[in-house]
Amino acid sequence: MTNTWALCALWVGLALAATLLAIWFKISTALSEIVVGTVAQLVIGVFLTGFFGFAQGGLAGNTQWITFLAGTGAIVLTFLAGAELDPAIFKTKWREASVIGLAGFFGPFLGCTAVAHYVLHWAIMPSWLCGVALSTTSVAVVYAVMLELGFNVTEYGKAILAACFINDLGTVIALGLIFSPFTIKTLIFVVVSIIVFVVLPFLTPRFFKKYGGRVSELEAKYLLFFLFAMGGLAVWAGSEAVLPAYMIGMVLAGTVGKDHSLIRRLRTLTFGLLTPFYFIRAGSFVSVPALMAAPVTLLVLFGAKSLFKAIAVYPAVRVHKYDGKAGAYYTLMMSTGLTFGTISALFGLNHQIITQAQYSYIVGAVIASAVIPTMIANSFFLPHHLLPHHQAGKKAEKEVMRPVPAEEG
Amino acid sequence: MGSPVFVGIQRILVAFDASPHAEHALDVALSMAGDMKAKLFVLAVIRPPEPAESPEFHAVLEEGQERFERSFVPLRERARQKEIDLETEIVLGHPAEQIIHKAETMQASLIVMGKRSHTILHRWMLGSNSERVLRYAHCPVMIVH
Repeated sequence: MTNTWALCALWVGLALAATLLAIWFKISTALSEIVVGTVAQLVIGVFLTGFFGFAQGGLAGNTQWITFLAGTGAIVLTFLAGAELDPAIFKTKWREASVIGLAGFFGPFLGCTAVAHYVLHWAIMPSWLCGVALSTTSVAVVYAVMLELGFNVTEYGKAILAACFINDLGTVIALGLIFSPFTIKTLIFVVVSIIVFVVLPFLTPRFFKKYGGRVSELEAKYLLFFLFAMGGLAVWAGSEAVLPAYMIGMVLAGTVGKDHSLIRRLRTLTFGLLTPFYFIRAGSFVSVPALMAAPVTLLVLFGAKSLFKAIAVYPAVRVHKYDGKAGAYYTLMMSTGLTFGTISALFGLNHQIITQAQYSYIVGAVIASAVIPTMIANSFFLPHHLLPHHQAGKKAEKEVMRPVPAEEG
Repeated sequence: MGSPVFVGIQRILVAFDASPHAEHALDVALSMAGDMKAKLFVLAVIRPPEPAESPEFHAVLEEGQERFERSFVPLRERARQKEIDLETEIVLGHPAEQIIHKAETMQASLIVMGKRSHTILHRWMLGSNSERVLRYAHCPVMIVH
């Protein structure tokens, strides 16, 4: 690979195509970019190798600058996800949130680890990684459902929303600590992290008030500095850079997270440049031949995630007074999750904890878990009050009217 | 006075997505509401991407709210000039479901919506909102071409 600009044009072109597909089919851009990355790698790797000089390694996802952009995308995306926490809700609902959130994390984490190890006969470390990747939930999916059904203003709705943050926090902490050997570096990382997490909420708003609001975008540089610095410290300690990024997002949610203008500028940077590289790269490492060789593995992993989410979350949700259908609906919604699942799987691949085939199965299961529970929930468990009461029997009563031109009225 | 077929229409629900088709439907509904002294209710639906992923979902939500609020400003002025009782609302969800749900809860006498020209592939993959509303709505539906 010698032509940086041609390779960059290829990746941005793929990002553009993925965005158009996302718009046409009303799916999330992240999902579209992963699928486009997988297909593009397959097509370019098989059919176009040797053309234009940039296709020797397919999409060349391990090129240093692509790795940097993709890594930055994961860090900033994780920060933004953490910054969406509502501290007021969390303070009032932390008990219920902790019960549901920890159930939502530990159930699939332990269950999927056991299935990977005892059923699929994976080694213990790949099995743990699989458990981490399939333990995630999606705050956004649950929040979207709440807004749609009007549950976001209820006490239970707020508790479940906070539970999703706890669930993902469990995933990020597990990812950051399980695979790092506990040494003096880990201790230094933990101590420095605690100091930074305590100091940042006090320092940041004051710093922004004094120096922010200028065209030089001091705020973005300040945040990126802390995200990179803490990410660097995490990697030095053998941990993962997204762990401090998520925590920084959460501790700044009440201050920076409320600055819509700043969050919007960060989103533009993230969606416009960074995350396409992250998700397309994540998709490009999926081996379609591996998936086709053993599709049952994917089904087993997806089934395990769904089963253990249900076993763990449904009773916890029922305890908090959601009835059968609403409880099932929330359980299915909490079984989704795309971003943290792919981040975990990619961490495993980059650190050679899992093979490319195992990565492909895990990402396949993550994508399936992002799409299928939503489809099932909307088809079979949609709470009644949104369903139309009048079905086919009423069709005969309806009439279709054409607009009457003004001069006829 | 309007055509006899419109007699008894007191509450008109307009499904609005800020497209030219929806603008056209809105023009028709405004004209009808003015003629019949009916209350006009304009519903805009923000459809989240599936699966909704942070922070894209929040960006879609904010962008949708601002876009529709901007569109409602001149609409309110037009309604005020014509002395039409107007109410607007922005909700999140699947457009057809939300339109049907709103029509039932507000006891709409008529739903007015524009017809978008989807490709066959688009219709096959996602279905047409106007077709779904037409099939399940409890009241007459007017599709403005």
